[in-house]
Amino acid sequence: MTRRANTEYLWVLPVLIPVFLFTLYPVAHALWKSLHRSQVLLPGEPFVGLANYASLLNDSTIWASLRNTLGFTLVAAPITVVVGLGVAYLLLANYPGRIYVRSVVLLPWALPGAITAVIWIWVFHPSWGLLNHGLRLAGIIDRNLQWLTQPDLARFAVAVAHIWAQFPFAAVLMLAALSSIDSTLYSAAAIDGANAWQRFRFVTLPQISTMIAVLTVYETLVAVTSYDVTYAMTGGGPGSATTLLAFQIWKQSFSMLNFGNGAALAFLTALLSLIFIALILWAIPAELFRTDDE
Amino acid sequence: MLGRSLLLFGAFLVFLFSASPVILSFIGSIVPDQAIFSYPPNWFGYGVTLDNYRYIFTGELPTVYQAEGANRSMISDAARQVPRALFNSMIVSGSVALINLLLGGPAAYAYARMRFRGRRATFIGLIMAPLVPSAALIVPYYLLVQQFGLLGTKLSMILIHSIMTLPFTTLILSVFFGRIPDELEDAALVDGCTPLQSFLRIFVPLVRPSLLATGLFAFMLSYSEFLFAHALGGSSDSRLLPVVMAALARNTDVSWGLLNASIFIAVVPSLLLVIVVWRFVVEGLLAGSVKG
Amino acid sequence: MALHLKHLVRVAVVLALALASFGVAQTDIDFAVWNYSLDIVQDNIEKFESENPDVDVTLNDYTWPDYHDTMVLRFRGNNAPDTLYVGQDWLPAWASAGWLAPFDEACPDLTQYAADAANYAVNDMTYQDQLYGLPYYADTISFLYNGAILEEHGIAVPETWDDVLQASLQLKEAGMDHPFVYEYGQELPNFFDAFVAQVYGRGGDMFDEDLNPVFNDPENAAFQHLQWLQEAVTEHDIMELVPHETDVIRTMNTGQHAFSVVYNYVLAAMNEEATQPRAGEFALALMPGEAHQTLGFAKFYSISQAATNDADKREAACQFIEYMGGGDYSIATRWAAENGLGFAQLPLFEDPAVRDAWNDWIDVDLLREQVASARTGTWTEWTSIWSAYFRPLLAQAMVGESTVEEAMNSGAARWIEYRETVRGN
Repeated sequence: MTRRANTEYLWVLPVLIPVFLFTLYPVAHALWKSLHRSQVLLPGEPFVGLANYASLLNDSTIWASLRNTLGFTLVAAPITVVVGLGVAYLLLANYPGRIYVRSVVLLPWALPGAITAVIWIWVFHPSWGLLNHGLRLAGIIDRNLQWLTQPDLARFAVAVAHIWAQFPFAAVLMLAALSSIDSTLYSAAAIDGANAWQRFRFVTLPQISTMIAVLTVYETLVAVTSYDVTYAMTGGGPGSATTLLAFQIWKQSFSMLNFGNGAALAFLTALLSLIFIALILWAIPAELFRTDDE
Repeated sequence: MLGRSLLLFGAFLVFLFSASPVILSFIGSIVPDQAIFSYPPNWFGYGVTLDNYRYIFTGELPTVYQAEGANRSMISDAARQVPRALFNSMIVSGSVALINLLLGGPAAYAYARMRFRGRRATFIGLIMAPLVPSAALIVPYYLLVQQFGLLGTKLSMILIHSIMTLPFTTLILSVFFGRIPDELEDAALVDGCTPLQSFLRIFVPLVRPSLLATGLFAFMLSYSEFLFAHALGGSSDSRLLPVVMAALARNTDVSWGLLNASIFIAVVPSLLLVIVVWRFVVEGLLAGSVKG
Repeated sequence: MALHLKHLVRVAVVLALALASFGVAQTDIDFAVWNYSLDIVQDNIEKFESENPDVDVTLNDYTWPDYHDTMVLRFRGNNAPDTLYVGQDWLPAWASAGWLAPFDEACPDLTQYAADAANYAVNDMTYQDQLYGLPYYADTISFLYNGAILEEHGIAVPETWDDVLQASLQLKEAGMDHPFVYEYGQELPNFFDAFVAQVYGRGGDMFDEDLNPVFNDPENAAFQHLQWLQEAVTEHDIMELVPHETDVIRTMNTGQHAFSVVYNYVLAAMNEEATQPRAGEFALALMPGEAHQTLGFAKFYSISQAATNDADKREAACQFIEYMGGGDYSIATRWAAENGLGFAQLPLFEDPAVRDAWNDWIDVDLLREQVASARTGTWTEWTSIWSAYFRPLLAQAMVGESTVEEAMNSGAARWIEYRETVRGN
């Protein structure tokens, strides 16, 4: 391999410089706040060490939010990826009317969270919601279900809305990954007499595992850090039933005016994401560094 | 036979799941509120009207409000910001998508196919960049953008949305570039191509549909981002779509019909864009971008 | 003669405009609002500008749910607005942080208007004995019912919360799923305010004179009312919990519900002929309970501390606030007549324009009675952050996910903790 005068850096620096510059300052700022008492109602910003972190870990609502975030992420992220894979197969398949399915499948993606919430509130609304109407017509229920205020139903409702908003992206990437599989691999497998499941398990899966890993990482990050749809649908309630950590960061800072706590919670959340990512990359064989440095 | 009906059924479900909320909002925008909230439901018993659309584009009040002394508590001027916000969002998100491809494409290529000192470390750093939730970064970003005198400008939104999306687009594109067989690159090198030439002539055409799909991803992420668009946004002239939509969704002075008309107007351009770009993506992918 | 005068006026106006555009320096002020009926706000600003050509007002609008947080961001980010809407619950924190300027220092001429305003409104606009605002609107939280439904079932308008329960059970018996629509939005300050209003209806208190919590005492009306709400949800199942006040409007208009507790302007929207199928069926009743009192509150125009650094800006800001919230109250009258927004300026109850418009959707005399007995909330520096902590507890207890005792006790403990942190005792 011929050595050139480090021209490789010209390829990556236009991304690295702005991303690092515009990430380092805000993150450093937040880190500083997390180590200081920064409460609007109290004068000054004295250094308090890890006191903000400690006060969060002593707060039962934070632990409830952590449990919710874990549950939400463990449900939403994998389901989004699996639905994405299924839809990608559907987009590849040949059937009458597939042009319509292909055209609309990206629609949910284009809506801001506030609107996603409006639409799903219309579906789940206890009184004039479509779901209750439908279930009544079908004779499944005779009393309206409280989709947004009964804890388990509310968790279900926000997960559905979240998956709805996220699955198109997963479908796009899965479609790209599936279509890049070398078709001769399938011919070879067919000659070996592999059935559909075996073809999927031993040909398709290894070929798309990197994309599955990348997607799972992305969807996990989204589930851990986003809260707009959930917040707009339930306000995190009832009580703390659907309160997510990312929302608590906002609430600690702007509703409780405690910017120190908000920042500290952000770093705890980042730590959680990090653990998730490490687990995913450990569990799913991915070739992120195919031509690795020796 | 069973497999086939299962396929059709699945396709039908996916169609319903994806499209029906939007179809709903279209219905909600053309029938009067009375119809939607009638019980038992009688959606089409009250006629249809385009008044809400007319109000948004021309400012002419819906007929029902034109009576003398009518209480106007359910008609919001904010709905009239939708067309302008749509335009702003198109510009911002379009620029973000372009920047992502122009900068993220080469970077992803380098990460996938080149070896250089710090490659692994900077790549991991890049993936870690979006780890701290943005809710905690709003204040420093605000101070930063204000320092540059960019509060309330499209430029600041393009910048921030690009920073948000670049790590992901680089990661995703590096997966695509990494899947291309080595023989193609070797052949290019034998032909005496520089890395730039082999990138532009061989790799970009090969992954073009995936590039477009990734650009679409950056576009959509920017198009639906609310937190920064709201916190760093300015007057109604430069406001982005999610901010206006959030106002409409949560304000008390917006009738259901007006809200739904706004939703539909917000969806249509992205739908058109999606159909056009998406066609290239799907056709490109199905044509088999890589054959061994 | 008349013609001459007209002529003179016209010349004077032209001259004034010319002077304004060439001679007088423009003063720019900005004005932050939550975007309710923005076209009317804009129109009011234009009227102000045409009367005060040397002042240029820039409007910044934000959504109501984001407004508080955005203002915090702007104050923290050294980008304070000059004039702004402020809510009663935020005033103590914002004033003590030094973000707002008291009228005594900034706009001494405006303090006179307090004399015309309802007591609860003056209290809401006052922090440490200093006035910080002129009212944008003021309202009470009211108990509403569907008159047609009550009539059909031969039910009298409820006087007490037990009446409400009995009536609801009767309606339920007759096939109505959830007779009571309750705005259940734990992230919205109104969720707490509405609770306080109901406690006031029972004649109860949340705190004593020395700002000690009393709501965690099982004998207290607040404790008992939360108990009532919990039983209404879990045991009697008469409550339709909806996430937002806009949902109250829609949900009540399905005609499947009889009662609700919301702001009066929501009643105006519910009774709006143009969009609501059941318009005209909804009416106000005094807040149920022995005392029939309720919570009154004011939202108001304030001037920021930052605006007082520049004498011209300060002057212009005061002028603008006076135009919007004082003077002949024409702006308040307009809000009342066109949008059904409540008012703090008591003289408006006699205004024929207001009475005429309001008679279409509310019993004005009954409202006047309710307003006369309305009480103010307990607004301290920490009330709004405490309320952000307490509301989820309230919400949780309401649906039976925790006991009333747990919610009230941890709310009380947190109140004392905040009080000690902020005041040191």
